[in-house]
Amino acid sequence: MDKSMLAGLESLPEADQQRMAAMMEQVQIRDSLRMYNSLVEKCFTDCVDTFKHKSLQKQEETCVKRCAEKFLKHSMRVGMRYAELNQGAPTQD
Amino acid sequence: MAANNIPPSGFEKDQIFGMAEKELEYRVDLFNKMTQTCFNKCVDNRYKESELNMGENSCIDRCVSKYWHVTNLIGQLLGTGRPPM
Repeated sequence: MDKSMLAGLESLPEADQQRMAAMMEQVQIRDSLRMYNSLVEKCFTDCVDTFKHKSLQKQEETCVKRCAEKFLKHSMRVGMRYAELNQGAPTQD
Repeated sequence: MAANNIPPSGFEKDQIFGMAEKELEYRVDLFNKMTQTCFNKCVDNRYKESELNMGENSCIDRCVSKYWHVTNLIGQLLGTGRPPM
């Protein structure tokens, strides 16, 4: 979700702006929750393979932390590149 | 949207908002699928460290670019109305 989506809304009447803003907020909340769940699923699948104990082993915990951090950094980078492409910015091959 | 200066009816307004919502959901879905796909293709899932290395960074940039090209290509193919060959 990027700020450029809010541009172009200023020309709308106030009530319509509010309606659009409320709708975008809804989509954003839904997306955040969905991201939370899929990140858990991904990191669990990649990091947890044995079930000898109920609690996470140190190695599993470290793996999950790195997985989540990596994904979030990756997601930010994708967002940057996607925004560049959307604006039509020429990039090196 | 309106070609004339008559403001849209309540029904038309709902339609426009409905379309805008669908468009927004499409974009969010596109971004999410792009993110998931490129993560799976580019990032080593052994998670030896929490940083992205140079190779992963380059891969991600190229993956996003290619994904974008594929999106446009499919869009063109679908847009002509004929079934894609």
